[in-house]
Amino acid sequence: MRTWTPGPRLVSVVVGGGAAVLVLYPIAYLIQASLSVGDPQARPPEAYGLANYADLGRYAHIFGNTLLVAAVATVLAVIVGFAMGWILSRTNVPGRAAFEQLMALPYYVTPLMGALAWALLGSPTSGFVNQIWRALGGDGHIIDVNTPWGIAWVMALFEGSVAFVMIGAVMKSMDPALEEASQVLGAGRMRTMLRITLPLVLPGVLGATIFVFAEMLGSFSAALVLGLPSRFYVVTTAMYQLVSQYPPRFPTAAAMGVSLFAVMFVMVWAYRRIVSAGNYATITGKAFRPRVMDVGRLRWPLLGMCVGYLAVAVILPVLTILYASFQRLTTVFPRADNFTLANYRTALSLDAVRSALWNSLLLGFATASIGVVLMGFLSWLIYRSRLPGAGVIEYLLMFPQAVPRLVFAFGMLWAWLVFPIPIYGTLWLLLIAYLTVFLPLGLRTISGVILQIDRSLEESAQMCGATWGYRLRTVTMPLLKPGLVAAWLLLFIASVRELGASILLMGPKSKVITPAIVESWFSTSSELTAALALLQTLAVAAALAIMFAVARRAVQAGGE
Amino acid sequence: MSQASIEVRDLIVRYGAVAAVRGVTFTVGAGEHLTLLGPSGCGKTTTLRAIAGLERPTSGEIRIGGTPVFSSSPNVNVPAERRGLSMVFQSYAIWPHMSVFDNVAYGLRVRRRPAAEVATRVREALDLVQLGDLGARSASKLSGGQQQRVALARAFVFSPSVLLFDEPLSNLDAKLRAEMRVELKELQRRLDITSVYVTHDLEEALAISDRIIVMRDGVIEQVGTPGEIYDRPRNTFVADFVGSANLIRGRRRPDLERDGLVVIETPGGALVHGIALDRRAGAEALMAVRTVHLRLERARPPASVNAWPVRIRQRVFQGDFTQYHVDWDGRQLIVRSAGAEPMADGDEVFVSAEPRHCVLLED
Amino acid sequence: MREPVSTAVTRRGFLKTGALAAVAAPLVIRAPFAAAATKVHDFQTNADVAKAEQEGEVVYYGHDGEAGIGVLLDAFKKDFPKIKTSYVRLQTGALYAKITAERSAGRFGVDVLQLSDISPAIDFQKKGGWEQYASPEYAAYKAEHQSSPAGYYGWGGISFAGICYNRARVKPEQAPRTWKDILNPALKDGISAKLAASGMQHAQWYMLRKLYGNDFWQEFAKQRPKGFDARAQLFDRLSKGDDRVCALAEYAGYTLFAEKGADIEFVAPADGLPAISIYIGVVNKAPHPEAAKLFVDWALSRRGQQVYQNQKILLYGSLRADAGPMPTGKRLSDFKLLFPTDWNDYVASHPVFVKEWNSIMGL
Repeated sequence: MRTWTPGPRLVSVVVGGGAAVLVLYPIAYLIQASLSVGDPQARPPEAYGLANYADLGRYAHIFGNTLLVAAVATVLAVIVGFAMGWILSRTNVPGRAAFEQLMALPYYVTPLMGALAWALLGSPTSGFVNQIWRALGGDGHIIDVNTPWGIAWVMALFEGSVAFVMIGAVMKSMDPALEEASQVLGAGRMRTMLRITLPLVLPGVLGATIFVFAEMLGSFSAALVLGLPSRFYVVTTAMYQLVSQYPPRFPTAAAMGVSLFAVMFVMVWAYRRIVSAGNYATITGKAFRPRVMDVGRLRWPLLGMCVGYLAVAVILPVLTILYASFQRLTTVFPRADNFTLANYRTALSLDAVRSALWNSLLLGFATASIGVVLMGFLSWLIYRSRLPGAGVIEYLLMFPQAVPRLVFAFGMLWAWLVFPIPIYGTLWLLLIAYLTVFLPLGLRTISGVILQIDRSLEESAQMCGATWGYRLRTVTMPLLKPGLVAAWLLLFIASVRELGASILLMGPKSKVITPAIVESWFSTSSELTAALALLQTLAVAAALAIMFAVARRAVQAGGE
Repeated sequence: MSQASIEVRDLIVRYGAVAAVRGVTFTVGAGEHLTLLGPSGCGKTTTLRAIAGLERPTSGEIRIGGTPVFSSSPNVNVPAERRGLSMVFQSYAIWPHMSVFDNVAYGLRVRRRPAAEVATRVREALDLVQLGDLGARSASKLSGGQQQRVALARAFVFSPSVLLFDEPLSNLDAKLRAEMRVELKELQRRLDITSVYVTHDLEEALAISDRIIVMRDGVIEQVGTPGEIYDRPRNTFVADFVGSANLIRGRRRPDLERDGLVVIETPGGALVHGIALDRRAGAEALMAVRTVHLRLERARPPASVNAWPVRIRQRVFQGDFTQYHVDWDGRQLIVRSAGAEPMADGDEVFVSAEPRHCVLLED
Repeated sequence: MREPVSTAVTRRGFLKTGALAAVAAPLVIRAPFAAAATKVHDFQTNADVAKAEQEGEVVYYGHDGEAGIGVLLDAFKKDFPKIKTSYVRLQTGALYAKITAERSAGRFGVDVLQLSDISPAIDFQKKGGWEQYASPEYAAYKAEHQSSPAGYYGWGGISFAGICYNRARVKPEQAPRTWKDILNPALKDGISAKLAASGMQHAQWYMLRKLYGNDFWQEFAKQRPKGFDARAQLFDRLSKGDDRVCALAEYAGYTLFAEKGADIEFVAPADGLPAISIYIGVVNKAPHPEAAKLFVDWALSRRGQQVYQNQKILLYGSLRADAGPMPTGKRLSDFKLLFPTDWNDYVASHPVFVKEWNSIMGL
């Protein structure tokens, strides 16, 4: 007895088409705005033309700045991500399991908090490091984070942990026999890593690289906190200025954003070329035992690297923020009269903390849960289903990554305002917005793993007579589990810390917390901001801890 | 047990500009064990995957049990999961996240069989592949050979009408491969399911097939029983691929032909009598004679044709047989002899071949 | 420059004749009102308080920080516990973009709007976005401190800027005394100001250009000033010594940071201090019209103005004739404030300012 099940084609068309609409609908409004040459505030535009694109030449130096910091930060992040991913999933460095959990922490720290901390640590005059330097008799400063290098450094540390999560998931799912084969043949460890490991994880690394680069292009907080003091603008901070001054210059900002689509398009194209050029399946039907290699004495320096990374990306920033949150006016040398609890008193009295925090966690949970299912299916659709048009969908879905969210948010604002179903001003709007802007994040994380799963694992299920839905549920999704868990966490954190889209789309009754934190940096002080950022981090940590405890209990109760 | 015949007609599979299969037609009888044999890139796996439904052909027709499962006109394409076939993959495709039992039970559970039946049949299947006690083990903790058996059990447990094998033994080491070959043959016999087997390994093909199809560059080169393929290769390619044959080139001598035999004259003037099997060849022709069908004797054999005096250039002892390289007609012939009478390098002896073992090859 | 007051009578929604009297006699405090005005707590309102409480909510769009808005709304809620408050906060440019986008899509969810720049306030008036509501509390304000014609929005409080410097990092002999001192080359790379998004910055640019000519800002550009979005950043950096002089030091920011113990000094140049107001009014098609009116009345009343002026996080100097001293003990009248005299010219200069200022700030 066969019950009717919708065919893969139908469901793919519905889901793929739905996702495409989610992306294209706001983009249509952005493109419309970028072509507006009349009154910049008029909606719909009074006149159309290409003047906004022609004017972009004026901002050449800003595009140059952006590419510079994004490229430096990406290289740094991918190197660190790859090295950490390799150390923690392929070698016998002591305390690997613990480190692996800790490695994702910088992502939780968020670029804003990271930038604030590093501004406190490394500003030329007031930076703690430089204050200590001068107290020791030095002159001037030894580090200066208000430079392109400083910005790239902070971006790499705090946006770059995505690279670690993505590359790490790929490394873990690689058959160690492939590496062992190389070692048996007499290749040294370094050679094995460069010649075997690196090429094998290449699609994952490349996917991560492209993704991280796009993320860096859209990075806002670090350039905002560290770039302004040295009059250094990147595209996002320039756009922010353009849309926040009166009258807001949407058309120029939209044209900047739309022209970034071209960059994204080339990157996705390159990625697809490389992925399709080689056979990159590394989870084969030959099931393997995860094994690690003995790196001998080398494990102490490697351990040092891990600790060092954690120190600059987590320990130092968090301690700095913690210290600052109890200060009236932060200086490195503590004075009794400078300590205060006022920042926390103020923070806890804010609406932002009282209601917005809960909304943020709720949205994070919903975005991550819906997102994992949606994006898992879309990854399968793009890389496995062989349905016509799957490639086009991939291009489409990467678009939100190309445009800084701040600008994309305007497209979404205009789009969903006129949408007949009244979701505007509700949390649903934010949910839709998050699902849209995080499509690329989810897709990249999951597809890095999906590409590694040998096709025959699904085909053999098909040969056993399983329909596509059954296969997806019993074979594909379970095999993707490590990737899906990683994606869930990334999406959860990304949602909670989302800033650009939230700022504009929040309604009076649908507030989330991150905009309040940034805003407090603008309008109050670094100290209150530090307190808010810490409260947010604590809440996220608590929420995750509770969730995992509940999940573990549920799994145990349900039996294996 | 259920059986179904397979008919493949004018099958063409193209990937963009490249044609992997270029017009292949054959049938597999109900209960027959057919092997697609050929070097890599010959289109054998593509043909198999087209039958399975994992590859969509460009044109042609495929029927299973008389029912079209694919046809380019009228347009029919039954998805793989509804063709009632099963397949063993080269990579085993064992699901690492399931136990051995769950792997094997999969096809039964897909078919919503009651749990009790699932348990019984999985146990039977595991017993059949000699893994009876490993059901609870995680599939990721198996050796290569064990994974292979799990893949087998999983493929036949739900009684498919056709079993497809895609180079199932190629990932095993030589010893294990030889063992599994025997086991596989035994299993085939007991299950009595129509099967299509893909391999590039001649011995495997000879051992387990009722019939073999040799493929090259997307077309069929020869169809025949293992004996036919081995003894009577149709052309140079098959003769080469099957291996261990001496190829002799010469000019046709129709004037000397009688008793249904063909004769060619080598450049050195030797006359070789052989059989034509209705094959067409030009004035210059090739004959193949297997190394085991050449006989070495110290005395001149009584035969009136195909006997020549030769000198032994080199003797290579290979255990089961001895291989001799002999000078003949300005070249070397290779002779494999299992005979007990050893001959030494430099011995002057006679080589002979029965005309029925000298096969005319097509151009 | 100002339209004759009588034209206002034709405006829809301008029904209360009592309010006309208030506008016509702006300098008269506690002018006689029509019977409709009711006294609640210690202020006058034309809103129906019972109805407002029935509406139960007021939605406020503002530009102040979370903490500032929190203080303001909490104070209102304390006076009217039956009316819930909710808000959206964005910087004025984005806030105005959001509200206009919403309105053009036919969504009217805002009751009260507060802006920190007169340009969008006038634009909003042109677009018919403000509800013309003659608050009885306008009686306490001069005509020049109201919209023209009156009733669209009121001046909710004044912010003004002088110069601030870090005492540890600026030698006493280099300490600025006048506006021209910010051009001192010794301060190069050590000066901060705001970015072009700031209404306050526009006002300073406009007023000092009037005083010292166009070259003044070109000279300033040579100092390579650093631009920031908000006053907190300016004072945060100044207090920590990252910048030595802040060229656009709002008094409110100074008091907040001086209280925290920052070693900074405020300078009020003798030529005067550029000042701007914040603008607050009832939005038309408001979902809670009575609550909106009540809120605006409250905000402009002595009671509300005390919140605006005395809460250090807000610290907007009140323009009410009966306003008390600021928390620092000073009154607005103790400072020489510079306001544009021609609002049309001021608004028209905005694009010129944005362009020049962006280039000064290296954008």
